[in-house]
Amino acid sequence: MYTKEELFLAISTVIDPEVGFNLVEMGLIYDASCDEDGNAYVKMTLSTKACPMHQLIQQWVKEAVQKMAGIKSVEIDLVWEPEWNITMADEHVKKALSR
Amino acid sequence: MMTIFGAMAQLVPVVLEVGHFGVELFYAIWPLLAIGTIMMAFGFTSYPTFLPFGGTIVLVAMMIFVMEIFLTIKKVKKFNLVISSILIANIFLLFGIIFGLVMALGYAGMVDVDINALLKGHVFLVVIGYIVVIIMGLSVVLLPMFGLSHGFSKKPLEIAIFLVSISVIMVVLSSLSASALLAYGGYILASAGLLIYFYFIYTIHKTRARKEIDIYAKSLLFAYFSLIASLSLALIYFAVGYEPLLLASAWMMFFGFFAFVITGHIYKIIPFLVWFERFSPLVGKQKVPMLADMLPARSSSAQLLFCALGVVVVATAILLQDGLVLKAGASFLLMGALALLRSVFYMINYK
Repeated sequence: MYTKEELFLAISTVIDPEVGFNLVEMGLIYDASCDEDGNAYVKMTLSTKACPMHQLIQQWVKEAVQKMAGIKSVEIDLVWEPEWNITMADEHVKKALSR
Repeated sequence: MMTIFGAMAQLVPVVLEVGHFGVELFYAIWPLLAIGTIMMAFGFTSYPTFLPFGGTIVLVAMMIFVMEIFLTIKKVKKFNLVISSILIANIFLLFGIIFGLVMALGYAGMVDVDINALLKGHVFLVVIGYIVVIIMGLSVVLLPMFGLSHGFSKKPLEIAIFLVSISVIMVVLSSLSASALLAYGGYILASAGLLIYFYFIYTIHKTRARKEIDIYAKSLLFAYFSLIASLSLALIYFAVGYEPLLLASAWMMFFGFFAFVITGHIYKIIPFLVWFERFSPLVGKQKVPMLADMLPARSSSAQLLFCALGVVVVATAILLQDGLVLKAGASFLLMGALALLRSVFYMINYK
């Protein structure tokens, strides 16, 4: 129903208020898919297990996908493998953070 | 101590990944601690009668705190380095409280104990055993989280916490047995542990992705260099025996290291709490500020500058034994404290 790119575009509206970049450009969204019935699946991680916004960020991702037309359900799969590191972020994020 | 307990109320569920056993207990802990501290301050300065009452109230507050933390830790299923460090620190705090209680009974003449000998154990249990071990344990969570550091080894921290914990036990035993060998052995181990901890912090700093030196990073840089200054002054004291060196070392530990670690984290924790409460429900509905937008640039810089100058000038005054320089340092600290107050109000009232 939606491609991975379309789902990533929707999730890119979610910004981490601590660093000021969206979750997609931070490299925190590992995968996303959606079947013909509108059931979406997002595989993601966080920059640290101790993130105090743990549940809030997952909720924002869920809401961002739910806003897309025809979406019936959203499953968030929060994983810790592979562990996130800065090399997974977009070049402009790495550049901005290293300033 | 109130700031530390407040921070623990917020951080313990984050680092232990379980909810508090009874977060409502903190509504009893803080008022008790505040009343007890004020009574003790009056007791020490002008009304000695207040001292045992204030001390008892503080002890009750601390006892509730320790028990709440133990019961929260009991909910944890899998132990790791951070949880172990919090457990170790709170065991030391519990014994520190017991030592304090025995000392208070000694002051009141109810038990016959050597208060000066117990004081060394009490101070080491609370300051090194609790505050330092807690800072060490939490830093492995907080510093990489804010600096986006990855790929560093936690082994140096394990060794550092082990050495510092053994050092506390040795110093406590020395205060009970009057053994100078145990005491000096403890001091050496504590120094070695803190130096290894400093190396660990350096590895986190080197592997961080976020290179920006904001007010948080600046505060921590000053804090860790104060730690090194404190250790250096203590080592020189053991070599030359000039007592002001020891006082200056303690000053750098409390007002350089502890105070700047705390104020640095205030600039991270308060904006987050205010943001979470005030702006997180508005995400997706309207433009919300970033956490960095909620920091007062001028007053936070003024706080850092005046407090850092104050700490260094007072340490110099202690070493020179000069009252006038001491007053100059105290003036800087007062300006820094006012700037901190202004920063806190700015962050709390951010709209």
